[in-house]
Amino acid sequence: QLTPSSFLRIGQLSNVDLNEDIHELETELPRQRPNEIPHNEKLLSLKYESLDYDNSENQLFLEEERRINHAAFRTVEIKRWVICAMIGILTGLVACFIDIVVENLAGLKYRVVKDNIDKFTAKGGLSFSLLLWATLNASVVMVGSVIVAFIEPVAAGSGIPQIKCYLNGVKIPHVVRLKTLVIKVCGVILSVVGGLAVGKEGPMIHSGAVIAAGISQGRSTSLKRDFKIFEYFRRDTEKRDFVSAGAAAGVSAAFGAPVGGVLFSLEEGASFWNQFLTWRIFFASMISTFTLNSVLSVYHGNAWDLSSPGLINFGRFDSEKMGYTIQEIPIFIFMGVVGGILGALFNALNYWLTMFRIRYIHRPCLQVVEAMLVAAVTATVGFVMIYCSRDCQPIQGSSVAYPLQLFCADGEYNSMATAFFNTPEKSVVNLFHDPPGSYNPMTLGMFTLMYFFLACWTYGLTVSAGVFIPSLLIGAAWGRLFGISLSYLTKGSIWADPGKYALMGAAAQLGGIVRMTLSLTVIMMEATGNVTYGFPIMLVLMTAKIVGDYFVEGLYDMHIQLQSVPFLHWEAPVTSHSLTAREVMSTPVTCLRRIERVGTVVDILSDTSSNHNGFPVVESNPDTTQVAGLRGLILRSQLIVLLKHKVFVERANLSLVQRRLKLKDFRDAYPRFPPIQSIHVSQDERECMIDLSEFMNPSPYTVPQEASLPRVFKLFRALGLRHLVVVDNRNEVVGMVTRKDLARYRLGKEGLEELSLAQT
Amino acid sequence: LGRRARPVRLCQGCHGHYRRLLALYGTIARAVGNSSESHNCAKSILTSDRLQIVVTLSEFFNETWEAANCANCLKNNSEGLSNSTEEFLDLFNKSLTCFEHNLQGQTVYLSPNNYTEVCKNCNETYTKLNDLYNNLQRMNRQGGESGHSAHLCIDVEDAMNITRKLWSRTFNCSVPCSDTVPVIAVSSFILFLPIVFYLSSFLHSKQKKRILILPKRIQSNASLVNIQEKYS
Repeated sequence: QLTPSSFLRIGQLSNVDLNEDIHELETELPRQRPNEIPHNEKLLSLKYESLDYDNSENQLFLEEERRINHAAFRTVEIKRWVICAMIGILTGLVACFIDIVVENLAGLKYRVVKDNIDKFTAKGGLSFSLLLWATLNASVVMVGSVIVAFIEPVAAGSGIPQIKCYLNGVKIPHVVRLKTLVIKVCGVILSVVGGLAVGKEGPMIHSGAVIAAGISQGRSTSLKRDFKIFEYFRRDTEKRDFVSAGAAAGVSAAFGAPVGGVLFSLEEGASFWNQFLTWRIFFASMISTFTLNSVLSVYHGNAWDLSSPGLINFGRFDSEKMGYTIQEIPIFIFMGVVGGILGALFNALNYWLTMFRIRYIHRPCLQVVEAMLVAAVTATVGFVMIYCSRDCQPIQGSSVAYPLQLFCADGEYNSMATAFFNTPEKSVVNLFHDPPGSYNPMTLGMFTLMYFFLACWTYGLTVSAGVFIPSLLIGAAWGRLFGISLSYLTKGSIWADPGKYALMGAAAQLGGIVRMTLSLTVIMMEATGNVTYGFPIMLVLMTAKIVGDYFVEGLYDMHIQLQSVPFLHWEAPVTSHSLTAREVMSTPVTCLRRIERVGTVVDILSDTSSNHNGFPVVESNPDTTQVAGLRGLILRSQLIVLLKHKVFVERANLSLVQRRLKLKDFRDAYPRFPPIQSIHVSQDERECMIDLSEFMNPSPYTVPQEASLPRVFKLFRALGLRHLVVVDNRNEVVGMVTRKDLARYRLGKEGLEELSLAQT
Repeated sequence: LGRRARPVRLCQGCHGHYRRLLALYGTIARAVGNSSESHNCAKSILTSDRLQIVVTLSEFFNETWEAANCANCLKNNSEGLSNSTEEFLDLFNKSLTCFEHNLQGQTVYLSPNNYTEVCKNCNETYTKLNDLYNNLQRMNRQGGESGHSAHLCIDVEDAMNITRKLWSRTFNCSVPCSDTVPVIAVSSFILFLPIVFYLSSFLHSKQKKRILILPKRIQSNASLVNIQEKYS
């Protein structure tokens, strides 16, 4: 049976040689004092809980279901569609706002710097221009970083790792709040205007998700306004589905790729999927890209032109002008290999940098200073490269908005400046479509190298910024170099069009860094507007993923691990069949009886040493030698609502309760349930009894002790559970499996390894 | 067209011809009234054979005129060159005469790189020309953004191009770069700052430590054996 001494074992890190320790562990006394270790990637944090995706089918819920008739269900279904449409429209509008503001502010900044440089080129004193540029960058980024670091730290980064975790079922604190949306939008605008090597597409996904979470609830908890609509959807089940739609709408607004957005949500939240959800998400994505398209067309003056379906537009790739032949497929695969290796290098460098940042740069002021320094250095690197470049070329048409003449002859412009003074999106499109011979290989090579290291340094700063566009730019640059050298080697063959190789290079580099295959293929296929490019892009991405995965993980997965999030992969680790539920579960379990003393409940909830959220409810028998079988499962949030409304047996008997508790009371308290410290229970009330029969979930999912880990994992993941009770053959509770218990097991380099839990 | 190809004097020389051509083609192509007579006339000239040379030529001329953007330097009614264009061409001729004048003194055996005379004397004229051209460009860009080409008319552009090439490439009168040292100083200072920052945070900040939580689990001997087997 369960003895206290048997449950204390220190979690083992994978680099500890177990063979030595086995003999020690069997004989030594359990150590009570927790030890401290520096942060590493093999930890799981306790602050992340699961979402309550599984519905608690208590008596209240069943009564509500019986009351709602068929017509009302249809209304609910229509409301779902309306919400998805609104999500699409609002996401499109937010994307428009970001695009327009960035365009104007960045244009203003470039104009100021350019005028200053032009003025000082003739007179001398260019160092002043450098100082001006660096200071402008640093001050704009300072504002952007201050709002993120001090007001809402979860808005840092691109937001894609956080949304991946949310779709996986992890409740990341503050990730879908209104404050986060505001900070994210302002932050991304300031980062891009501040000249950092970042993109604005990744944060769109996070913004779309927040918009979805907000609209679907029909109220704003931050602004304390309740519109009294959509009350049926105020629970984690519905919210998570709408967040999937929001993320898809965000992808679609960012890239003009509605199907790609749907597949992105599918790839991340795969296990909890159904067909109706797919349809609604597709609807939201389509509306999002259409809204963005029409508003931007109106803004640019040619209404109904509908030529900008996303924040980035790759331009038309015509099959006649830029076709490919079957002989080029091996070349593309080779580019995929190169992309995978470069991506792995990027991720490895970023890993060490992020580890350093987590360990040493954890105070907000230091983070702000770091962001300012990166901005200043970016400006300096750009300026020095422009200054030293002697490559002058006449510009063709109006492809460059702010040409910089510097030391070139009149009528010619510094080509390094066109690379640095353009927004990254425009540079990518230019690299794809400019005719052969527009770029000097030396300039392009130096630019690629510098930008690679700048982008690697910039990702992970405490600013809102994405990594899609920098990777595309790096890949397009070396892809184009590859194409130029190929046509040089084959003495000017017609088929070596460098724009095509730029596209493949961009796909390879992006695949090597983020390692998304299915959704990225479709996104790029839709962004180029040409289905025939789908096949080589898919090959390139798969090759890059295979090669990259051999060395390091994808960037987003790496950051999820570094944040110690208990992320559940699609399947249990393959060699884990020998582990059973008995070894995985946490025990002993704090159970409640069906009719329980209020004082016991309050004490259990107030216990700070173990922050449980789900309690199995066992049969309340006065005779303790009898078997206490499992009767149901009740959540902390439900207990708190019960305590707040003082639903005690004695009060019911005295008819003191004015009305019976309804499901609406639980939904009103969602999602920010008050903590137990704010509930006041007097000494007399502590002696009352509380009857949990009506409110508990009478049919919780259970597994027997001998179930294997993969089986438990599949049940847990496929149903989106938060608690899984482990029972023996007499239906007695022996343990509980939660997300942390399952996420501990991972397939590492030497085999199955176990992560430790830590307080973060 | 052919005679005015290099240096490009297309708009100046051919605008009269083009106007007449447009008028003629308009008269042919437009079917005035409902009478089938004029309709047959247009058909018999324009579309009665496979090659349709008249139509092709007319399209060619139209496209070339549009690409050259001659409308930019002609007056509104296309009667003649606009004032700004005349001013520009005037300055252009002045610059060319200035160059010739200052190069006259050079004989064949003087080193061809000695253009300091030209640079000094013609600097003012050239600067005026350059400024006028930039002004024209700016006004053109402001005036029409959608629908209009971003270029000035080809005569003006080409004239400017020739002058600029002469000035910068042949005569080498451009501005030399002057202050390398301050730029290097400032940039190395800025590049040095992050190193200082990271070193100081590494040495001074307290490293973030994590407190391990002990899990509450059953560890039977059987499971220890399992893990041992896995690692061996």
